[in-house]
Amino acid sequence: MTLWDMLVQLAVANVLAFGNGTVMAAVLQNTFVQQAHVLTNEQLLYAFALARVTPGQANLYVASIAYMMFGLPGAALSMVVIAVPSYLMIPLLRTYEFVRGNRAVRGLTRGLASTAVGLIMATTWSLSKDSLHAPVTWLVLGVALALLVFTRLPTFISLLLATGVGVALVLGNLGVR
Amino acid sequence: MSTPDAAISLRALFLLFLRIGLSFGAGTGMSAVLQAELVRKRRAISRGEFMTLYGLARLVPSGSMTALAVAVGYRYHGFPGTVVVLLAMILPAFVLTVVLTVAYTLLAGSPAMGVLNLTLMPAALAVVVISAYRIGREFVTSSLELILAIAAAAGVLLLGINPSLILVAGGLIGAYALRDRTSEDGR
Repeated sequence: MTLWDMLVQLAVANVLAFGNGTVMAAVLQNTFVQQAHVLTNEQLLYAFALARVTPGQANLYVASIAYMMFGLPGAALSMVVIAVPSYLMIPLLRTYEFVRGNRAVRGLTRGLASTAVGLIMATTWSLSKDSLHAPVTWLVLGVALALLVFTRLPTFISLLLATGVGVALVLGNLGVR
Repeated sequence: MSTPDAAISLRALFLLFLRIGLSFGAGTGMSAVLQAELVRKRRAISRGEFMTLYGLARLVPSGSMTALAVAVGYRYHGFPGTVVVLLAMILPAFVLTVVLTVAYTLLAGSPAMGVLNLTLMPAALAVVVISAYRIGREFVTSSLELILAIAAAAGVLLLGINPSLILVAGGLIGAYALRDRTSEDGR
């Protein structure tokens, strides 16, 4: 895969997912991991996790993916690809009465959203097959889910706490690995 | 669009979006900070106009926060304003992300990476699961939307169809079959 190919794939995923980081992960997992084999599920999940422990937008993890594939130039260009479609906002500002009221546009966005939900479900299944291969991984998943569902902690704190529990278990050699 | 109630210099805009770029909570958290700064603190824009821009930003096929930033930058300083706000907003997260990715690549193959794969990855998977649940709860509100979601998952898992094609098909079906269903924010 060339740098240009990667940028095109990122641009397509960004536009189709309306910049939603989770939906983009679904498209990128299929493209880069399953089809092109230029990235592993572990690398994708690490990049995705970065977006949760760093400030800023949730889709900027593509810089991590691009860095893993093409170094700093790839990472920098990936940001350009992510930002450029935002300039559609300028003509949209001039025609917003039409666009907001158009039923087909609303239907299109709801159709995209519903389809995206299915893609995320498929990606979650695919990622879980690679990530949940030892007892400790199930424990960490359970702790993280419990923290995310039952507490009001920020996502990145929940992520770090669950990871910390896992690290303690592994390093403590408590026989759960 | 109404004229601004207060002017904001390019430098002030840069510093404001640098702060927003350092905010947690992704687009939702960042737009809340932006609204507090522009509407309440600086009185540079009315709440109604801000919400219109926010609603429009969600219609743009990119991150809604970058679209909102472009709108605000353009409103005050034209095209140069858009470049300045995007640079300021993206730079902090970009630098942190690259630094942490460099650390990851340096650790590749080490015992530490083995521990990370056993611990951070399942935790990250939990975030994906929760995101999927929340997005599903928000957007799948009718039987047709549920069918679209299930068909999309089956298309990828069982038939190996390219997700981009599935999204395009879902959007086209929605434009026809869901055109009479609306949500509060129009998405």
